[in-house]
Amino acid sequence: MQKSKRSVSATILLVLGAVYCLIPVLWVLIASSKSSSELFSTFTLAPSTHLWDNIVDLNDYRDGLYWRWMANTALYAGVGAAASTLVSAMAGYALAKFDFRGKSFVFNLILAGVLVPGVLLAIPQYLLLAEAGMTNTYWAVLLPSFISPYGIYLARIFAAASIPTEILEASRIDGSSEWRTFAAVVLPMMRTGLVTVFLFQFVAVWNNFMLPYIMLGDDRLYPITVGLNGLLNQGANQPSMYTSVVTGALISIVPLIALFLTLQRYWQVDLAAGGVKA
Amino acid sequence: MKTTYTPLMAVLTAAVLFTGAACSSSDSPEQATDPDEKVSLTYWTWAPNMDEVTAAWNAKNPNIQVTVNKQDGGDPAVTKLLTAIKAGSGAPDIMQAEYQKIPTLVSSDALADIAGEVGSVKDRFPAGTWNGVTLGSEAVYAVPQDSGPLMFFYRSDVFEKNGLQAPKTWDDYAAAAEKIHKANPKQYLGTFSATDAGLFTGLAQQAGASWWGVNGDAWSVKIDEPATRKVASYWGGLVEKGVIDNKPMYTPEWNAALNDGTQVGWVSAVWAPGVLEGSAKDTKGKWKAAAMPQWDAAAPKTGAWGGSAVGVTTQSKHKKQAAQFIAWLNSDPDALKLLATEANVYPAANDAAGVLTSPPAFFSDQPDFYAIAGEASKQLAPFTYGPNVNVAYSAFNDAFGKAAESKKAAAFTESLTTMQKTTVDDLKNTGFTVAG
Amino acid sequence: MSLITEAAPVEVATPKPPAPRRRKAGGTPYAFLAPALILFAAFLAAPIVYAGYLSLRKVKVSGLGLGSKARTEVWAGFDNYARSLSDPDFLPSVGRIGAYGLIVVPTMLGLALLFALLLDANRTRAGISRVARVSIFLPYAVPAVVASLLWGFLYLPRVSPITDAFEAVGLTAPNLLSSDLTLWAVANIAIWGGTGFNMIVIYTALKAVPSSLYESARIDGASELSIAWRIKIPIVMPSLVMTFVFSLIATLQVFAEPMTLRPLANTISTTWTPLMKVYRDAFARNDLYAAAATSVVIALATFILSFGFLKLVGRRAFDQED
Repeated sequence: MQKSKRSVSATILLVLGAVYCLIPVLWVLIASSKSSSELFSTFTLAPSTHLWDNIVDLNDYRDGLYWRWMANTALYAGVGAAASTLVSAMAGYALAKFDFRGKSFVFNLILAGVLVPGVLLAIPQYLLLAEAGMTNTYWAVLLPSFISPYGIYLARIFAAASIPTEILEASRIDGSSEWRTFAAVVLPMMRTGLVTVFLFQFVAVWNNFMLPYIMLGDDRLYPITVGLNGLLNQGANQPSMYTSVVTGALISIVPLIALFLTLQRYWQVDLAAGGVKA
Repeated sequence: MKTTYTPLMAVLTAAVLFTGAACSSSDSPEQATDPDEKVSLTYWTWAPNMDEVTAAWNAKNPNIQVTVNKQDGGDPAVTKLLTAIKAGSGAPDIMQAEYQKIPTLVSSDALADIAGEVGSVKDRFPAGTWNGVTLGSEAVYAVPQDSGPLMFFYRSDVFEKNGLQAPKTWDDYAAAAEKIHKANPKQYLGTFSATDAGLFTGLAQQAGASWWGVNGDAWSVKIDEPATRKVASYWGGLVEKGVIDNKPMYTPEWNAALNDGTQVGWVSAVWAPGVLEGSAKDTKGKWKAAAMPQWDAAAPKTGAWGGSAVGVTTQSKHKKQAAQFIAWLNSDPDALKLLATEANVYPAANDAAGVLTSPPAFFSDQPDFYAIAGEASKQLAPFTYGPNVNVAYSAFNDAFGKAAESKKAAAFTESLTTMQKTTVDDLKNTGFTVAG
Repeated sequence: MSLITEAAPVEVATPKPPAPRRRKAGGTPYAFLAPALILFAAFLAAPIVYAGYLSLRKVKVSGLGLGSKARTEVWAGFDNYARSLSDPDFLPSVGRIGAYGLIVVPTMLGLALLFALLLDANRTRAGISRVARVSIFLPYAVPAVVASLLWGFLYLPRVSPITDAFEAVGLTAPNLLSSDLTLWAVANIAIWGGTGFNMIVIYTALKAVPSSLYESARIDGASELSIAWRIKIPIVMPSLVMTFVFSLIATLQVFAEPMTLRPLANTISTTWTPLMKVYRDAFARNDLYAAAATSVVIALATFILSFGFLKLVGRRAFDQED
């Protein structure tokens, strides 16, 4: 690989792509350093010195509610993704490594699930959870995130690709129970794939807006997306809190960026792997 | 293998345990039987600092504890309430609702009749305002909290520079708009905002419109009528001429324009100082408040934008206690004072004048601010809202959005035809009898 | 998040041993599937069935509709569907996402493929290439609501650095939220947010290709371009097909971006996309029934388009044989 020549045009194209993707991030970084009177009046890309003041303002909003939104988001995304990863791993393993009646029906059902827009589900989900008296609780946002058809689909690909059937047979001959085989043999072998599934679902829940927006009435339960939206739309008789929104937006993407940088190597997904036989 | 697998399992297990621990907070009030029983009530409101106001009540009423759930504004709160009502659970005990939403809420069986508990505070409110919470019936669905009489706000320095005075009539306003824009093409006296149906409704109200009406058992819809047409063609004309901007309000751009002096006037309501203080900080001391420009200066009228009441939901299990709280909140002098100072609202109660002695901070050198506001409240023209205000409003957004973008006066009046038809069709489709 | 410490890329696409016999084990697979199926039934199937039910119902009021028992729910047959499909706003919104899809899907996938090939060709300094990869992927971490908010600030003529840039060189900046450009402005947000993710998918597929496959072509003097065109792209075709399907689905569901931009401009109506119409019917109009009917139509259209496309390209849906 080392012998390939450097190419100026390749470099330029990549740098242009990177710049395009970074502009809004750069903008939010600069904008969050401005005071509210500077925000829309000074030159857009000229940074100022009020980042800390803005963070303090944000922190003062309803006694630090912002941090609670961050914590809620971490809870929704972390717990939701962890549970959904376990559920997906079990289902993906069953679909990849067993023959059973109804298998293709179940698989097609899961695929159909991948295609259903979450926005469409939010209202009926609300009405059904209300029957159970669970709206406006953490559960209302968590439970629906435990199922991810897409996660199951990925887990099935990973299970099919990474678990040699011989090892399962060997484990069975050793007299280990099915559950033990799954826990002691299958999960470790699928580990890297499952991290990817976890990351996917984590981002999906982190970015979700519609479901928590509909489910929650108490702003102490909000995730960050719903909370920021609320800061922006305060109703006609109050000014929009642009500086807090901008600063809040900046802080809210920091953890995800950190997650991306540290776990870069797990972002390797071949959607078609299950089908490639070339 | 073993070592790498353990941490993953540990996280999964911890996550599941964490879920169990974190998700135990659900508050549904129990059935009330004992009068001395402690009850806790939830209160959906979007007014700022309402926790401070309820704290005063909670301190005095250890048996009726009210918890504020801050909402994102009038529309999302009503949306959530209606969904909760439809679902049969999930509604708060106490609900703030803008006046125009009350017919919709009553029609959806979301607000309880609390005539028995709060009927006695009727005399503390202006008759027109009280009518908005009874819908002309014997029932009382809410207690008025604040009102939003329209007023006119302008940059006195810019007016002075152009040799202008606060416009007395809409003709004056149009002339001032033209003069200011001619003198400085970057400056506008205002904008026609297609995203603020509430303001347009208030302007139509001032001109004598009343979009809905009741004829026995039938509703009537009177949007595409002369009074509203006059308003639409007036603003359409100004936009077509280019002397008034056509961009929506409440955008970063609009904030910037208020702050840097390119928007030099604002037709708004009594609560405007709070918005200006947040959006146009740099212009403090340059703004003045005035009464609305008039269609007929001899018979001054005004409309309303915003303003809300507080009701008890049909799902509340403690309606009596909830009604006690809202009667106190909106008519007790101590509470009114807190509402005005902490929650920054203009209380609807007659006694409000007593607590609003000094002008809002942003207008600190205009001592007659609340005198103008008080005068405006008395000039509110009557207006009836119907059960599908949201339908008319979203039709307004779409039709007037296109019209404002086209900058054609004709498109403004045509938009009213669309609004009228959409609103009538919706009523008929839901099964309401529509007269005319 | 400290659980992952060592490098272990997912080598899912490496050639696999010949498909071995699967296990036949009575109830075991059902036990493993049970949690997924229960959750699926509760949070996907039941809501869909419920939406289907609602789509056949409607509310009837009596009198002025102000009494407490004035509203009753009745069967509506296919009224809601007829109303929803004949709504004058519906077809334009479908046409709009058609045009939107034609902009977004090819541009996004084209850019994703381009960047993936550039990274794979390894013709850039490692540092630059790593920074570029992370930067391009970064927008995926930004929630659509926040992304639309940020772009919204960048679009508004008065406060936009784009305007500043145009003015600096003596030009008048276009109003990105005017009726001619709104579609592009919304599309840009989707392209910005989605390119990186698709790039990673394609890049992963490229890395899984044994380099021996094109080393010989390279030795024969084939240009990188022709290697990309003749060898690499055909090999990653299955991945491109899948990213296409997922992008198509995302296109049909565009919602958060126009919804967030709507208050900023006159040019985005409340029924700008089909899902926005669903939202308006359900929330602004309080007509869950019409919203449910439109939802069912959108869901069916999504199924037909995505499965239809997979049939067209001649692959069994998400090929389930290993």
